[in-house]
Amino acid sequence: MIQKKICMVGVYGTGKTSLVQRYVQSIFSAKYHSTVGVKVDRKEVNLGATTVTLLLWDVEGRTADHEIPTSYLRGAHAMFFVADGTRRETVDALFDLREHARAAAGDVPSIVALNKNDLQDQWRIGPSDTSKLITAGVHVVRTSAKTGEGVEDSFRWLANATLGEPASPTDQSQVRHAR
Amino acid sequence: MAPDGAPDAAGGDRNSDVSVRELSELRDLLFGGERRQLEELRRRLDTLEMTPEELAEKLPQAIALRSARDDQLAIAMAPTVETAISESVRRNPHEIATAIFPVLGPAIRKAIAETMAGLVNTINRAIDHSLSPRGIRWRIESWRTGVPFAQIVIRHALVYRVEQVFLVHAETGLLLAHVPEETSANADLISGMLTAITDFVNDSFETRQTGELRTFAVGDLTVLVEAGPQAYIAAVVRGQPPESLPVELQSTLETIHLQWSNPLTAFDGDSAPFATARPLLDDCVETVLSTDDVANARGFRRYAWVIPLLLFVVAVEWFGTSGRRRWNAAVARLESEPGITVIRSERSGGRWHLTGMRDPLAANPTALLAGSGIDTTDVHARWEPFVSTEPALVLARARRVLAPPASVTLTVSGDSLIASGRATAAWTARVAAVAPALPGIASVDLSRVEPGLPAEMDSLRGEIEGTRALFAVGSDVLDDAARGTMNAVSDRIRALAEAARRHGYEVTVQLVGRTDPSGSTNENLSLSRRRAVAIRDHLTSRGVPTAMLEPTPTGSGNPLSASGSSDRARINRSVSFVVRTTPLPGARAAERMR
Repeated sequence: MIQKKICMVGVYGTGKTSLVQRYVQSIFSAKYHSTVGVKVDRKEVNLGATTVTLLLWDVEGRTADHEIPTSYLRGAHAMFFVADGTRRETVDALFDLREHARAAAGDVPSIVALNKNDLQDQWRIGPSDTSKLITAGVHVVRTSAKTGEGVEDSFRWLANATLGEPASPTDQSQVRHAR
Repeated sequence: MAPDGAPDAAGGDRNSDVSVRELSELRDLLFGGERRQLEELRRRLDTLEMTPEELAEKLPQAIALRSARDDQLAIAMAPTVETAISESVRRNPHEIATAIFPVLGPAIRKAIAETMAGLVNTINRAIDHSLSPRGIRWRIESWRTGVPFAQIVIRHALVYRVEQVFLVHAETGLLLAHVPEETSANADLISGMLTAITDFVNDSFETRQTGELRTFAVGDLTVLVEAGPQAYIAAVVRGQPPESLPVELQSTLETIHLQWSNPLTAFDGDSAPFATARPLLDDCVETVLSTDDVANARGFRRYAWVIPLLLFVVAVEWFGTSGRRRWNAAVARLESEPGITVIRSERSGGRWHLTGMRDPLAANPTALLAGSGIDTTDVHARWEPFVSTEPALVLARARRVLAPPASVTLTVSGDSLIASGRATAAWTARVAAVAPALPGIASVDLSRVEPGLPAEMDSLRGEIEGTRALFAVGSDVLDDAARGTMNAVSDRIRALAEAARRHGYEVTVQLVGRTDPSGSTNENLSLSRRRAVAIRDHLTSRGVPTAMLEPTPTGSGNPLSASGSSDRARINRSVSFVVRTTPLPGARAAERMR
């Protein structure tokens, strides 16, 4: 069985938890977030011949006076960053977060989900922001916890990436068509 | 100068040769030891590997040093040693058997002792749980909750049970292996969360300096965590874990670190290589129930050990009495046997002792005892011979002494011996003389014995009486066949006459003439007379004394029987023979003497 540790990281209130809760298997209640600061969920991704079990460490969002504990990030095979597309500062905070994660887990495949894509009228992220992220070596997807858009793609990309096969844009389009 | 120069040059060469040699000697004198050491060091540097000789020198010390430090050497060598032993067993099992023999005996004894202790313990607990108020309370609990009684007992008697064991990759919190299988559904999530919680505690309380989180308890569940550099082991324990458990977990973890060193270092999410570590984890899963409960030792339970003892005593007693019962039955059977009288029967020194009297003609008492299910090797018997006057024995003795022919039946009634059947006069006379002298016989009744002939005469008589001369219808003339038959008969009659003379008998042969039923009675009678006379004349002509022969005409009034009427008619147109013998008075005495 192939298992991979994925850390989900984002600023507080980016909809990170609601983004995944419909798509994962979970046995622990949300109260772990407020107590232990992390909640572990499972997402199985079927990649044809292999099934990868992603163990998602949904880490409590960072606030001004709360840094994400490095021990939760340690050993992660990939990073799942979440930002709120309607709040620009959550995207800006990603660069800091990413450095923090890189210090703890090394240079692992990273994806950024620009969440709340269903709220296009309040969207605050321009193409320049996106390209800045891509330049920093992060895969960018737009997601919506409400419609489910981009969620499965994100997990699939992560699973592939942890197997050392980072999906090219072509791969992404194939995945999208496959849905 | 040249001639001078040459010797000069030669002298110079010699001088330099000398100086080189001297220098070399000087060097040897000054630095000889160092030079040799230098060469040895150079040699060693050139061949950095150890020679087998050097290894042999160092190996025992190296093993001793490492063994003193930890168990790693033993763990590393274990697979090789196991292979070597199984190979040795395969090649020559005798060697190993001889070597371990002294160990086996005590081990088996220990195992049996433990099993017995366990059995007593089980009995104790069963009695305790079935009869005590607590047991009844548990039964009610079982009935109320629908949980089987056995589980209720285990829950209450449980000291501890290691329910699950996780082997977790330390850095990622990913699950490497988990036992038991059936609780594995969410083991990966639990191991992740467990890691998170451990991290949380360690981070929150800065335990790095003082050690890591090793135990936490919720209700009657305790989670023991033993951490290693690359993996940690977590055991979920219900009840009170013993102090030895962390040590056991730690040693399992060390073994895993040693044997799975490469998979642990290279771990990238694939847990397949750790499937083989599950048996090691399985060894940690165990259930320990209370073997003694001091609070309940008072009262009934304290004496529970008496029960198996009582059972044992009852069994021995039952076995003993059943043995005695069987013995008494066997002795009664002996006593009922004619010719055997038991005077004393007792048990002493682990054997049965029998004293009594036995008629030599009585049945074999050992065989009788064996027939009653007695182990006769366990019996010491002494029989005095005596003569029994019980009818069965009297009869047996009479048979043995009198040797009656097969045609005679002997019986005993009261104190008289009764003979019936056919016997020779000689035998009859001997019985009359001897039998009254036998013990238990007062009188002999021979009235039912018909006089028998000596065998020689008896067989001749049989042959003669089995022959008949057949005649044609209405004829009294012997045809050729009848003539041939009668020639043979005449020889036998003469032989019979001769035997009768020797044995002292008077013999007459009746010639019974017959006819078929056709014709008048008078005519038939007349015809039968003529047939009988014809035979007499023929026999007389063959040398048989006329006085022996008695023509006896019967006509058709005394016919021989046959199945068909034509057959019956044929065989009745005949003359047949009846031999009559009468012992001569003087001859009887002569035979009795023989």
